[in-house]
Amino acid sequence: MNQKNNLIIGLIIAGVVVMSVNVDADPRDFAEGLPNIGIMLQEITEVDSSLFVTAFWSMLETIEMAFIGTVVGVAIALPLSLLAARNLNNKFVYVPVRALLAAIRTFPSILWAILFVIIVGLGPFAGVLAIIMYTVGFIAKLQYEAIEAIDADPMDAVGAIGVSKLQLIRFVVLPESASHLLSQILYIFDYNIRQTSILGLVGAGGIGFYIINYIKFFEYGKAAVFMLVVLATVLIIEWVSVRVRDKYIVKSQRGMQVKS
Amino acid sequence: MQEQKGSSSPSISTLSIVQMNDVSASYDSKNYVLKNVQMSITRGANYAIVGQSGSGKSTLLRLINGMMNPSRGKIMVDYKIPNTSDKKFKSFMHKIGYIPQNLGLIKNSTVLENVLIGALPRVSGFNSFFKKFCDLEIDNAKKILKQVGLQGKAERQVYMLSGGEKRRVAIARALVQKPEIILADEIVSELDHVTAREIMDVLAKAQATMKLTAIMVHHDLQLALEYADRVAVIKEGEKILEIGVEGDRIVDFQSGNFTQREILEMFSNESKE
Ligand SMILES: Nc1ncnc2c1ncn2[C@@H]1O[C@H](COP(=O)(O)OP(=O)(O)OP(=O)(O)O)[C@@H](O)[C@H]1O
Ligand SMILES: [Mg+2]
Repeated sequence: MNQKNNLIIGLIIAGVVVMSVNVDADPRDFAEGLPNIGIMLQEITEVDSSLFVTAFWSMLETIEMAFIGTVVGVAIALPLSLLAARNLNNKFVYVPVRALLAAIRTFPSILWAILFVIIVGLGPFAGVLAIIMYTVGFIAKLQYEAIEAIDADPMDAVGAIGVSKLQLIRFVVLPESASHLLSQILYIFDYNIRQTSILGLVGAGGIGFYIINYIKFFEYGKAAVFMLVVLATVLIIEWVSVRVRDKYIVKSQRGMQVKS
Repeated sequence: MQEQKGSSSPSISTLSIVQMNDVSASYDSKNYVLKNVQMSITRGANYAIVGQSGSGKSTLLRLINGMMNPSRGKIMVDYKIPNTSDKKFKSFMHKIGYIPQNLGLIKNSTVLENVLIGALPRVSGFNSFFKKFCDLEIDNAKKILKQVGLQGKAERQVYMLSGGEKRRVAIARALVQKPEIILADEIVSELDHVTAREIMDVLAKAQATMKLTAIMVHHDLQLALEYADRVAVIKEGEKILEIGVEGDRIVDFQSGNFTQREILEMFSNESKE
């Protein structure tokens, strides 16, 4: 047993080495390139401070795009997840809905963005649509899994009263899965901000549009400023979501006390 | 209460609210977890079912409320065949207060919200979507909370309650249904004796005042005999005895063949196993 484990670990390491050679990933290049960071940091100090204002506004646009995409996406995902849950529907309902969701999930958001740039043209709207699609596929799946994992006992007990399916959803399914949903929404919002930051690469608006342009013209210092703004924003969002999580999810789920 | 003694005939009694004729049930269509069960439960009775773990007690309750269907035999509940997709039976389901073994409470909701679930059959779809209940229903729910000893706890989250309090919430939810039958699955098992009796007293009182039929699964034979008019003993899916206390004697109603001593011996064998 142990020997078998060792063999497997050995094979995985050998695989990583061989594949690295294959894809031309040489750690020496990394070591040699490290000083470039210093150059970039130095360039940051040389950029005009008014650039931070531009970065701030483009970050705001990014957050707005992510926010709209998250809210609309979740609003669409929720009813779909109710239809896709196998403990609420028969297979004539959940099979097609699941197939649709699986199809939506096959595209990463950047491909959706390209598709929507073709449909609605360059700009943030294409990015918002891409975020919506990604959010729908992602949240609906996690949520129907959460609904299926709901404790069977309350479903059983309330179902035995002979209530309607909508009443069952409202009084059992939603409360029992709400904290899970909130946790997923926080996660996807955070994730969507990061995603939206790169959608600009294909012309779908947001801060990534600036970043890609500066990189194209070798203005790494300016690109770095925008990346720092993204970093700061993500950290802030992370901090806020931990707060929300503690207040509404962790405690409500098990009465757990958060150590401060 | 008048009952035919020693009768094992499967004739449908007009008095019975639950009637089982030769009922067998199975989860996998191979092994029967209930075998040829005859059961006749009189309207208004306080009926208990006891038996070892895995003997099929919970399954029996689920046959009565239609959450499961028998593989063989016939069940009538209030002259209807239990079937959750049947309209007529579905409206009778509103009148069956089912308290499953694990209670089935909504942990992240308040006590009052849990209890009002029992009133849902009387609330329109629109109002229930917004969790809007009329004052009458809320007052009634609060009255019942008081009745089960939960006054002042209406706004508590259920996960904060003690085991005994959770059981009271489940009882209150069932009573809010204005039920004709209460099905309670081991509602006082795992509780200390004092709390168990307090809760049984709440149920007994409700049963008497609301004229319910109570069908309760118990682990403890002593407790079952103390509270119920009739106790069915299930062993490996078969109903082997139906007994009750008359005066100071234990009477065998099923076959009439067993003497008090034999019954007591069977009991002590049961509990030794
Ligand atoms: N959902 C199920 N699927 C398959 N088998 C089941 C299922 N539920 C119960 N059984 C089996 O049916 C038999 C009777 O189960 P049941 O729950 O009715 O017993 P019980 O008398 O209520 O036991 P306990 O006192 O432990 O609650 C057991 O052998 C159990 O393993
Ligand atoms: Mg059981």
